[in-house]
This record gives sequence, structure tokens and C-alpha cells, in this order.
Amino acid sequence: MREIEIDANSMVPRDLNRAVKQAARKYDRIVIKNPNAMHYMVAGLTDDVEIVIDGSAGYFAGTMIDGAKIRITGNAGWFPADNMTDGEVMIDGAAGDGVGQGIYGGTVVVRKNAGSRTGEIMKNGTIIIGGNSGFMSGLFMMGGRIIVLGDVSDDAGESIIRGAMYVLGDIKSLGKNAKIEEIDDESKNELKELLPVYGFELEEDKYDKFKKIVPRSKRPFYGGKESEEG
Amino acid sequence: MCGIAGVVFKDKKLHPVGKIMTRMLDALQHRGPDSAGFSIYGGLGLQDHEYLLNIEVKEKSGLLEQVKKTVNAVTPIEKEEIVPSVENYNIYKCKIALTSFEELKPLIMDIDKLEDVVVLNGSHSFEMIKDVGSVKEIADRYDTYSKMGTHAIGHTRFSTESIVDRYHAHPFQSYIIPDITVVHNGQITNYWKIRGPLERYGHIFETNNDTECIVHYIADKLYKGYKLEEALEQSIKDMDGPFSYIVGTPNGVGIAKDQLGLRPGVLAENDEVFAIASEEVSLRAVMETDEIDQISPGESRAYTI
Repeated sequence: MREIEIDANSMVPRDLNRAVKQAARKYDRIVIKNPNAMHYMVAGLTDDVEIVIDGSAGYFAGTMIDGAKIRITGNAGWFPADNMTDGEVMIDGAAGDGVGQGIYGGTVVVRKNAGSRTGEIMKNGTIIIGGNSGFMSGLFMMGGRIIVLGDVSDDAGESIIRGAMYVLGDIKSLGKNAKIEEIDDESKNELKELLPVYGFELEEDKYDKFKKIVPRSKRPFYGGKESEEG
Repeated sequence: MCGIAGVVFKDKKLHPVGKIMTRMLDALQHRGPDSAGFSIYGGLGLQDHEYLLNIEVKEKSGLLEQVKKTVNAVTPIEKEEIVPSVENYNIYKCKIALTSFEELKPLIMDIDKLEDVVVLNGSHSFEMIKDVGSVKEIADRYDTYSKMGTHAIGHTRFSTESIVDRYHAHPFQSYIIPDITVVHNGQITNYWKIRGPLERYGHIFETNNDTECIVHYIADKLYKGYKLEEALEQSIKDMDGPFSYIVGTPNGVGIAKDQLGLRPGVLAENDEVFAIASEEVSLRAVMETDEIDQISPGESRAYTI
């Protein structure tokens, strides 16, 4: 494996991302040292390469990537993996708001807690939160799946249209157009296959305790009136 | 966008908070290039009834003498310092004594009547430093590195609603009770609804800036007996819009975030320090920790010493 280290200290995001893109043509693994919670790291990378951000990332880490596998050893700020189409963004620590905002594919994993609006307007792909997820998780979700191993805060699945959220802990309240349904065997098996791949080893009985949040209607509705197309 | 930060040393002893806040704000420079400011609490060492006036004076023949004459007509200037700023302005700082805090605002209003003179603030337990330019420029200009204190708040400004000048740089201060300052990231969309009742109580607004509205709101609540935590909680219910703001008081700092969580706020704490900021990168200027709390929508946090 060809590996290179890039020291981000004293670099601005544009310079760092240019260096990463150049290195991605020659190397299989790129380690970014001293990231110091910089914003926009690894934005728009389309190479299938492994990236380690050795520390914390700021806003929009891994935004619009297509195929890269990014591991952030610290925390991430707002919107990690925003609009990614394929690849993985693994965050060892906690993350801010909008984890996996608008993703079309790929997988985002946050080991600890996530902020508000996790998975907002996501179209496909998978988001796994090891801890709790905040206000309006799954906001206007249009596809894919969000798995939360802790609790979710108020208005979970607000205006969800497609896709599903699986919550092991408590759901403080549901948003408009969201409902809880029984988790079936197919979904349980899906989670049993998925979670260990990312290092989440749950006891067998825990899989029975997941609550599945799905849309009540295929169309958003406003006020108290549901769509006739429901 | 704006960047906000606050730090408290829990042991109540003096620490180089000027230097620390400079680092915290420098880490947030990308959030606001227009101006920056500090409230550094606990290090002034003034006697009871002593105050520090912080006055912007244009370089104009005889103007500084007029300022001094206005101050001396009320109370003798005990100590003074001039810090050269930019665009032909100097910052004149002077120490005075007043019989009571209630005399401070009328004196400030008297001085403000002079053309090309603006009192940036008057304080007892903290020093306010704010100016246009980058954090590093301002830090060098005022030597924030040497300022000691128990706690501080600070700001980098990306202006949206009012002009860029020294006075409109944050922090903003209220004189309803002594030494309350606010730094803010966001907009208060029901500004007039908040301002109206405060004006009817007789509180004086100097600008149309929503941060000034917040600081009067909080000072009014504290004056009415609310604890800082209670005032912050109530503000979240009363104020609309996207906001995250930090309050500095003589005893601590607090942060409040709007109910939809549309502006950022993170917190880190250990046995020695309580720190809050817009971004983790700023907290890392104070302490090395991987445990960063996101301030949730509608949440407030405070630490008093």
C-alpha cells in the first residue's frame, strides 16, 4: 500500500484539498496530520482512496465525495459527508448538526452523539449514530436509512417522505408525517448484517428493541390535513 | 456568520484570559472579518465606585481636551491612556470615580454629545476592547495578550444588519445594571417586539442593532431578579430568529441558542475551565479534549464563579 502524510498545519482548505487530490492519484492511503478542525476537508474528492483525518474536522468534512473512505479520529463539525454519492465517512468522536445531509449513497458512521437534523433531505445511503441524535433527525428524509443506537430528540422524522429510521433508545417525539411501526424480521436481519461491519456488536435481544420510524404518507402534508395521495 | 467565544476559569484566580481569548477568536477569524472584540472580566482591579471609560476620539485639534473637560466637569480624571487606532482615531481610556453606578450612563451621554466622539463603553469589573480589523491586528493594537482576568467573552463580526465601525463591533453593553455584555451570532427577527417593552421601561437604545437589544433584554431580566440561567431560558422563548449568543457578567458567562438550532454552539469543560464557542477549533485554543458538547436547539448553558 502506498501511503503519504500531509501536514495541514498552516494550510488553508483550498491548499489542503488540492494536495489531497494530487496525492490521491499516486497513493492508496493519505493521512492528514494537524487538521485542527479545519472546514471543507477532502471536499469533492472522487478517487477511491483511504483518507485518515488525524484529529477533528470542521464543517462539511468529506462533502460531495464519491468513493473515498474517510476516517476522522476526532470530532466533526456541521454537515459531515454532505451530499456524498458513494464512499464512507467514519467519525470516531461526536458530530455537529446535519450529519449526512442530502447524501445520495455511501455510509456515514458517528461513534458518539450527533447534533440536530441528522440525515436531513438524504435520498439514499446509510447513517449510523452510535450515541444520541438531536432535534429533527431525518428531517425531510427522502430515502435511505438512519440507525441511532441511543435516543433521538424532538420531532424525529419531521416531514419524512421515504426511507426509514431505526432507533434503539427513546424517541422524544415524532415529527409531522412520521409514525412508528413494528420492526419486522427483514429489517432486523438487515441491521444484524450491517452493524457488526462497523464495529457495533449488539446483544441479540437488542435487535427486538429497535423502533422503526417510517412515513405516514408519500407526500408531505402541512397543518393537520394529510395528502389525498397518502 | 460571526464567531463567538467565552471562557471561565473556575478557580476565580487571574489567568491570561486576554491571550487565551485572542487565540480563541483568531481560530474563529474565518467566521467574521469586519471587526472583533473582547470583554475581559476580573482583571481591572478598580476600587468601589471607580470606572474605566473607553472613548473613541477623532484626531482633531482640541477635541481630546474637550473630552477631558467634559469628564472633569463631573469627576476628576485619575489616570489616562491613549491607544492609536485606525482612520485618524484614537482610543482614550481614563479612570474616574463616581458616587454611584447610576451616574455612569448620563456621563457617557454627555460625552457622546461631542462631535466625532463616541464612548465605546464604561465599566467597573471588565475591560472592553473592540475595533475594526482582524483579531491579530486588534490584539497587537491593544496588547490583549497581556490582559489578565477570571473570564472573558469575544467576537469576530461578519456584519449583516448595521454598519461596520468600532461602536457596532461586539460586545455590546447595557447600563441597566453594571457590566453586562453580549456577543452574538445571528438575527433577532422579532427585534421590535423585544425592543418596544424595554424602551417603555425607559431603557435607552443607542443603535438598531439586534445585539444591543439582547444585552438590554438580559440586563433587564437580571435587574428584575432572574438568575443568569433563567434569563437565558426566557430569552429563547421570547426571541425569534436564528441566534446563538454569549453573555458576560461580573460573575460568569452563559450561552443561549434558538429553538431551531440554526446557529452553532459547542462547549467543553474540565475541572479548571468552562469554555463555549461557535466551533471546536476555538475550544481547542483553551484545552485539549475530545469531549465536545453540541449546544442543542433551544438550550442554554451558563457557568458562574
